[in-house]
Amino acid sequence: MAGPLEFAPAIAALPFVSFVIALFFGRYMPKKGALAGITATGGSLLLAVWTYFAVMGNGEPHTEHLHTLVSVAEPFSLELGILIDQLSALMLLIVTLISFLVFVFSLGYMNDEGETGLPRYYAGLSLFSFSMLSFVMASNLFMAFMFFELVGLCSYLLIGFWFREDAPPSAAKKAFIVTRFGDYFFLIGVVGILATFGTSAFIGTGGTESFPALAEHALTGSADHVHTFGFDPQTWFTILALLVLGGVMGKSAQFPLHTWLPDAMEGPTPVSALIHAATMVAAGVYLVARMYGFYALSPTALAIIAFVGGFTALFAATMGVVKREIKQVLAYSTISQYGYMMLALGAGGYVAGVFHLTTHAVFKALLFLGAGAVIVAMHHDEDMWKMGGLKNELPVTYYTFLAGSLALAGIIPFSGFWSKDEVLYEALRLGLNDPVFMAAYAMGLIAVFFTGFYTFRMVFLTFHGEPRTNIAESPHQYGWNMKAPLVVLGALAVVVGLINMAPLAKLTGMDLTYLHHWFEHGGELLTVEHYHHLLTEVSGVHHVESSTGLMLGSGALSLGLALAGVAVAHVLYNVPSPEEHTDKLGSIKTVLFNNYYQDEYQVWLAEGLTANVARAANTFDQGVIDGAVNGVSSVSLFAGERVRKVQTGVVTNYAALLTAGLVVLLVAMGLLGGWF
Amino acid sequence: MTDPVSAALGLGGYQPLVPALLLGVTALLVLLVDTIWPNEQSNTLLATVTIAGSLASLLVAGAQLFLSPEAATLFDGQLIVDGMSLFFTVIFTSVTALVALASHDYIAERPNQGEYYALVVLAATGMTLLASANSLVTAFVSLELASLPSYALVAYLKDNRGSAEGSLKYLLIGGLSSAVFLYGISLVYAVTGTLKLTEIATVLDAGIDGSLTGVLGIGIVMILGGVAFKTASVPFHFWAPEAYEGAPAPIAGFLSSASKAAGFVLAFRVFLTAFPTSAVAGVDWVLAFEVLALITMTLGTFAAATQEEVKRMLAYSSIAHAGYALIALGALTGAADRLLVGAGMLHLLVYGFMNTGAFLFIALAEQWGIGRRFEDFNGLAKEAPVACTAMSLFLVSLAGLPFGGGFVSKYFLLLGTVLSSSYLLAAALIVNSALSVYIYARVIKAMWIEDPVPGRTIEEYPTGLYAAVVVAAVVTVLLLPGLALFTDPAQLASNALF
Repeated sequence: MAGPLEFAPAIAALPFVSFVIALFFGRYMPKKGALAGITATGGSLLLAVWTYFAVMGNGEPHTEHLHTLVSVAEPFSLELGILIDQLSALMLLIVTLISFLVFVFSLGYMNDEGETGLPRYYAGLSLFSFSMLSFVMASNLFMAFMFFELVGLCSYLLIGFWFREDAPPSAAKKAFIVTRFGDYFFLIGVVGILATFGTSAFIGTGGTESFPALAEHALTGSADHVHTFGFDPQTWFTILALLVLGGVMGKSAQFPLHTWLPDAMEGPTPVSALIHAATMVAAGVYLVARMYGFYALSPTALAIIAFVGGFTALFAATMGVVKREIKQVLAYSTISQYGYMMLALGAGGYVAGVFHLTTHAVFKALLFLGAGAVIVAMHHDEDMWKMGGLKNELPVTYYTFLAGSLALAGIIPFSGFWSKDEVLYEALRLGLNDPVFMAAYAMGLIAVFFTGFYTFRMVFLTFHGEPRTNIAESPHQYGWNMKAPLVVLGALAVVVGLINMAPLAKLTGMDLTYLHHWFEHGGELLTVEHYHHLLTEVSGVHHVESSTGLMLGSGALSLGLALAGVAVAHVLYNVPSPEEHTDKLGSIKTVLFNNYYQDEYQVWLAEGLTANVARAANTFDQGVIDGAVNGVSSVSLFAGERVRKVQTGVVTNYAALLTAGLVVLLVAMGLLGGWF
Repeated sequence: MTDPVSAALGLGGYQPLVPALLLGVTALLVLLVDTIWPNEQSNTLLATVTIAGSLASLLVAGAQLFLSPEAATLFDGQLIVDGMSLFFTVIFTSVTALVALASHDYIAERPNQGEYYALVVLAATGMTLLASANSLVTAFVSLELASLPSYALVAYLKDNRGSAEGSLKYLLIGGLSSAVFLYGISLVYAVTGTLKLTEIATVLDAGIDGSLTGVLGIGIVMILGGVAFKTASVPFHFWAPEAYEGAPAPIAGFLSSASKAAGFVLAFRVFLTAFPTSAVAGVDWVLAFEVLALITMTLGTFAAATQEEVKRMLAYSSIAHAGYALIALGALTGAADRLLVGAGMLHLLVYGFMNTGAFLFIALAEQWGIGRRFEDFNGLAKEAPVACTAMSLFLVSLAGLPFGGGFVSKYFLLLGTVLSSSYLLAAALIVNSALSVYIYARVIKAMWIEDPVPGRTIEEYPTGLYAAVVVAAVVTVLLLPGLALFTDPAQLASNALF
């Protein structure tokens, strides 16, 4: 019977079809390719829902081999395949939902605003969805890498959509180059994993084992089929895990590779929503979750992930405090929130990390689309200081944006509260045993306060108080195609946290941790229990025992801090004519506004250091290498000239040379073979 | 076993031979047409018959290949039709069809058209039979059937001195090489007492008198010499530059692609079947092929680098490519034999299109009368963009860049050398390929970057030649994904021979 899982490839294939249609026929179509994209992602969404329920009913992961690219059995073959399990089914659902809504929203944001180049835009969006969906379904790390790169390419194309202006092409290049820097390590990691295990499969099929399973065997017993190149297996696996992490940090914008993300706001706002909620940035975190069985084997890698995540969460949140433009605030909040996910995964909270990925996808897409609506209303002015008082003029946007903000700030009962609380709780439980994780937890906790503050500073400046400009008094109105996605996401932002209400479950004793149960099923080696087993038995990472008091205390603490942040924002900014209180920070504001001079040192790295090294390399190349090459070519041409001379044109010479050659060959062979 | 169609045609057990028979009949038909209308210009009809005949043969061979038949032996084991022979028949017939299509324009104004087409098809028949030859004597007869028409074809432009001179040199060197080959056969017969390839292997396997190893060795090396002549490998290559240069350009393409492939099928067949390395311990022919491969590719590349005429450069590049294909035999160490043989076969397949295409482009240039030197091609892309695009594709594919099938087959060859630890061959392959990029880039640079030659106008765009060039270009490009994604060289070779 052709079950839904048979159609799984179509989830990715449909957007690819719409990519082709939009690219070649988009200009002849009434909405320039939008309808094709909406149909395709809508179809993908339905299939993803179907797939989700099939996985729910079936429980077992579905694997499918699609094509063998390089079919050399030794040392390894490169394959394309599909892996649908609990994690990828959930992610497919998120990606298709957000993609679909972004397409609908684009009708209002791009078509109604009379933008040109729309076929290119919709082709890019479709290719983006295709790449991300294929990445999510990838059955092995090699294939994941391919589509990871394709996602990066699409982001380049879309961020630089308005390529005739100055800033977007530059931002696109920055996004491409910075992520490429991380991907360089990822590529080495992929090659390393293939060379080490002879496979990069995420799941074992038909007699072959997955690489996390092989790594586990190597650590717990026999290291027969694993080449660790002379390293201790534990050390080598940590190196590999960190190499792959390079790609993750680039894509998921973790410190210090986060600098591309704020600039990426130069792209159209729906693209920002797609990049930050469901595709490019999510790809990094998803990859860690996908190969969690491998990361769970390396306590060092876990500690680094957690620490970098916690640091990024705090670091980005402080920068979000002073930004003037609404999308910039959201950009830094994105970096910060992905820091939380990394913190969770590093602290052994697999479910918490994926949970936060899910809720964040919903509320961040909502916030970006809401910001897009505000930007349209403000005639494409993004400066919050020119807004104010929009809540009366744009009620739908206001209430949905508020729902998203409450979720982002982590206010009970909105979705962000549940997931962020669980992230921090997991980090705390580990932190009580280990000071590194305690430091990571502390940074994440402090970031909660800043999150509450900057989120509501943004809300108050945008929607409350008196209008500060003429445009803000009578903003541009827009149609259903922008409101509908906001309403859908607004509703989800409120309720999606209910899928895993751990504190409430603890308090009432009811069974409310549905997401946790979801991940208890699936392939034997892909379940949360197995990961827990790896963490405790192989890596020796132990959480303190979960208790009601600890959980409620942790929840109350983070909620209190979030509310404190909201309250401070309320006092300072929820007044008819707010002042720029951040000016009082003096030189600190300058530092924050300039993002801790991160860009400056990276530009110095690029221009001061790299360019000079490149210049030196160039000199070396021109002098030594080219010299050698020129020498070789002179010798070649001279030798060639000699060879030409052999061809005298006299046929008797040829016959003589031929015979001589044969005789030489005969004598040489005879001497070697001992014929005489 | 016979199918109903063959039975109805009275073919009986000869059904596997249909591709060769079709070619033979086509040659007779061409002569018949020429006999009925001797004085009229029946160029189009002759070309049509030739193309139809070779395509029909291609179709049948392709179908037999895809239905992967059991190897069939005929005439008491004198002929064998298997994957190898069918694969090469596909190459021969494809090249024949392309050459005939292009010749329609090339020889339109020239006399003796009937003979021209008939000789082409007869040579193709000989090559097809050579691919099926399962004994040394059949191989020799087929080789001569393929060679004799070639001598005449090179001399087709008989009022042109270069054509006549090239042909005579080809004939003389060919005669010498045939003698060497035949003498080699006689020595092998003297040692083993049989001419059939499989029986030779059986005898050698059983072991021969130690004192006869020298005789056998000389015989094998002389047979190798005959093969080297046909594949234009150093030092049996002297005829090639002059014959290719003097011959009509389509014939040069035919000789350097199909005829060279015929030499290789003979080499694969004879050496892999009759002289398995395990059975001829004292005669290390693999080493001999390794040396030939090294010298051939290096000498071909270096000589091509200093040529001033495009056609002659292609002639030497064709010698270099023979060197690449020789890797298939020169790197056989047991570690990756099937991969290597399969890679060699694939390289010859791709080469059949990209090299023929390049020579057909030269035919086009000769039709336009624009001269032979690199400078004469300056700025040609402005006047003939389609043809120059196709030519550029042929050249980058010949160089082994990933725009055509040449990349994949070279990659497989390189993989084979690495897996069988023949690092010298691997290094030579890489270095020569790198140098060849420079050689081919000269033509591309002339066509696209240099300013056009003043006063040159191209008046006609011959349809048949253009069609042949474009078809060859399309196939060359399609072979890149085709070979990369859907072909496993080791599997191919296993189906073919092992």
